[in-house]
Amino acid sequence: MESSDSDNFESADEDFEFEKFEKGSNTTKHHHPVPKSDTAKAAILIPKAPPSTDVNQNKKETSESETLTPEIVNSDKSKSEGSLIKDDEGNKQYQTKAVPQLEVAAKDTVKHDVEIEACDNSRGSNVTGDAQDPDDDSENLWNEGEGWGVDDESDNTAIPNVQGKEKMEASPKTAPIEEDAWSNEGWEIWESDSKEIMIPNPAKTDNQSNLDPKWKGWSNWGVSSILSTATQSVSTLTSSVSQGLSTVASTIESSIGAPEPAELALSNRAEKKSLPAEITSSDHNNKNSMGFGLSNIGSLVSGVSKLVESTSTKVISGGLDTLETIGKKTMEVIQEGDPGLKKKRAFLNLEGEKPVLSQVLREAKEKAEQENKARQEKHFAKKVNYESIFDDHQGLVHLEALEMLSKQCDMKLQLLFESSSGDALMEIQETLAQVKELCELPNEEDEEQLSLEELKERLASAVKELDVNITYDRLISMWEETECWLNNVNLSICDENELHQQAVETLAQLTAIAVEQFHKAGELLLIKDHHSTADEADSLVQLTTTLTSLIGIAASKFSDKMNCKAVGDSNKESVNSLITNIFYEAANSSSYIQDAFQLLVPVIEMGAV
Amino acid sequence: MVEPIFDYQFRLILIGDSTVGKSSLLKYFTDGKFAELSDPTVGVDFFARLIEVKDGTRIKLQLWDTAGQERFRSITKSYYRNSVGALLVYDICNRASFEHIPVWMSEARRHIEPHRPVFALVGCKLDLVSNGGQREVSREEAKAFADQHGLFHVETSAKNGMNVEEAFKSVTQEVYNRIQTGEYKIEDGWDGIKTGFARPNGLDFNLVEAEPAKSSCC
Repeated sequence: MESSDSDNFESADEDFEFEKFEKGSNTTKHHHPVPKSDTAKAAILIPKAPPSTDVNQNKKETSESETLTPEIVNSDKSKSEGSLIKDDEGNKQYQTKAVPQLEVAAKDTVKHDVEIEACDNSRGSNVTGDAQDPDDDSENLWNEGEGWGVDDESDNTAIPNVQGKEKMEASPKTAPIEEDAWSNEGWEIWESDSKEIMIPNPAKTDNQSNLDPKWKGWSNWGVSSILSTATQSVSTLTSSVSQGLSTVASTIESSIGAPEPAELALSNRAEKKSLPAEITSSDHNNKNSMGFGLSNIGSLVSGVSKLVESTSTKVISGGLDTLETIGKKTMEVIQEGDPGLKKKRAFLNLEGEKPVLSQVLREAKEKAEQENKARQEKHFAKKVNYESIFDDHQGLVHLEALEMLSKQCDMKLQLLFESSSGDALMEIQETLAQVKELCELPNEEDEEQLSLEELKERLASAVKELDVNITYDRLISMWEETECWLNNVNLSICDENELHQQAVETLAQLTAIAVEQFHKAGELLLIKDHHSTADEADSLVQLTTTLTSLIGIAASKFSDKMNCKAVGDSNKESVNSLITNIFYEAANSSSYIQDAFQLLVPVIEMGAV
Repeated sequence: MVEPIFDYQFRLILIGDSTVGKSSLLKYFTDGKFAELSDPTVGVDFFARLIEVKDGTRIKLQLWDTAGQERFRSITKSYYRNSVGALLVYDICNRASFEHIPVWMSEARRHIEPHRPVFALVGCKLDLVSNGGQREVSREEAKAFADQHGLFHVETSAKNGMNVEEAFKSVTQEVYNRIQTGEYKIEDGWDGIKTGFARPNGLDFNLVEAEPAKSSCC
């Protein structure tokens, strides 16, 4: 049995893949029915559902016997036999259609070996029948399609599918409220009729077989593509979509099958004439299928779960809930602001004329890139310049290395936190709070003008207090040179761009040295044996404020020179923008220095605990 | 028109015992100069140089010169992570420095994980041997060790510049080859390899390609 099953699947077309779900559902359904998800499933699976409707009917019929205990089934010979007979009939009738499902149903209803064998036989014939006679399906399909069209004449071809799908969702068991919405289209009759189906009626199998192609037809309609798209977009909205679910969803989506509108349209024309006579019978079939649609969907759901069962049952229960949400969302999204889906149908028909999304995106991207490039070129001379000079003087990499150190210290502190408790923890927290307090930078920008001597003095005292071997000699000598250059610069020779360039260079170099020495200070503090946290924090605050005020002084000295230039010059505007840029870079420099200082705080904290 | 001054930036780290000559090697490589006396490195220092690989691609090497001193060991470890290449440096005239190479190598491996850096084994102070100094590590022994671990091996002199260029070039070429084969990729959050950025012409004043000084004697 098993081996023959797998053989079938391998040789199967999409119908067979579908059958897989069906089969699984039949077996699992007894164990855990999946009532809630039916509606959700409906939205996703409907296009696919058609081939299996007949099976459902059979199953429904058999389900009566299923509900009984095995003994009862056995004792009630007439009943079980009845179903058996029906199954056989069904098998015969389904030879050109989705027979495999039927056999599954038969297997489920009657658990006797004999019956199973019968199923096997029937299946074999079915498979061949499918292969030989593919055209039959499409023919019937289109006949039925016309029948659907009759229900809603005003709409185009795409309409019936959607309606059918909604119908499924609206079927009595799951969503009675939705029924009303559709009742005006005459659908409600089917629902009332659906009860009839429960009664085993061999005569009906004929109709069921007709039904089958129609359902299949739906799957070929454009709806499936809307649905799968909607499903995808909805799934992104649903946070609870699990890995397992997405697997399930993709399986379903892939099994939906690609529509071949052109082919369908052709056959449609051909069959159009022969239709009217069949409409009534097809309606009848539709009723039946409606009634059974639900169980069909249920079995689909459980069939899916069977597939995934081996991986994890948890995933399924979560996944089914999500599927339900997806189904609901899908319908919501599809129908949003578009009652009756009129717009969507129109959209589907106009597919050839709509703009290609990827093209639109590509154009947008190209435009953005061009704008970006233009902007870059404009700012290059200013922005990149500062940063590249800063980088060339190893400012960036020192900052980065300091960052690494800082992170390391943070991690160690974190470990310390986790490993200590009680009083020890309290003590650490207190210490750290104190360090933070000590490390607060004064808010007000002191715009005092430091002379070179004052600068030297302040830096020297701060370094001394820090008690590590760092030096700002390089910074001081550089600033000396700059001041000298500024005092002697011949403004009649030096143009504003040159002045601006010099200013940016000076700022970048001063900052690079400052950051480098902060980095060194951090490294040396970390390997220092004895710490005086208050002194360290104090001196680093002192260093930071001194260095940032030096940056301020440098910026204002350069801008003074620039201003001299602006007075005599006609292009005042460009000079002003250059001055603005100098102050902008000075602000940049200050924030780099302050960042470096903040990165040192964990280092000081490490020394304190 | 904007022209990129380098296509890639590789971060290489130099590790090895103190006083083997890491800083001198780098100074020669980036400056073409040799200093008879130099202060021990504090923590880490940085050097940079632009070189070209065989197909003309311009690579900026960002060189991390770590302190060899034991007291900085815990700090320098935290700098390993973002390196794409590591030069294991030893002193040809200092047996112990060579014997510590396996330790340095496994340290680097451990800290650079999950990335797999290009390693090179670099012997320093070749000029001392030429001048009658006492060689403590034979070329064969070092070569055997290098072959055993799949490293590139070279003996250099930062004083006369012998093989200095080759040491860095081989590592750079190997890293570049691994990019070409797809083994190395540019990743966010890892700074071992970066793509270069463009700069306006004429403004890359500080990063001109250093002219390797001519090696005078051997």
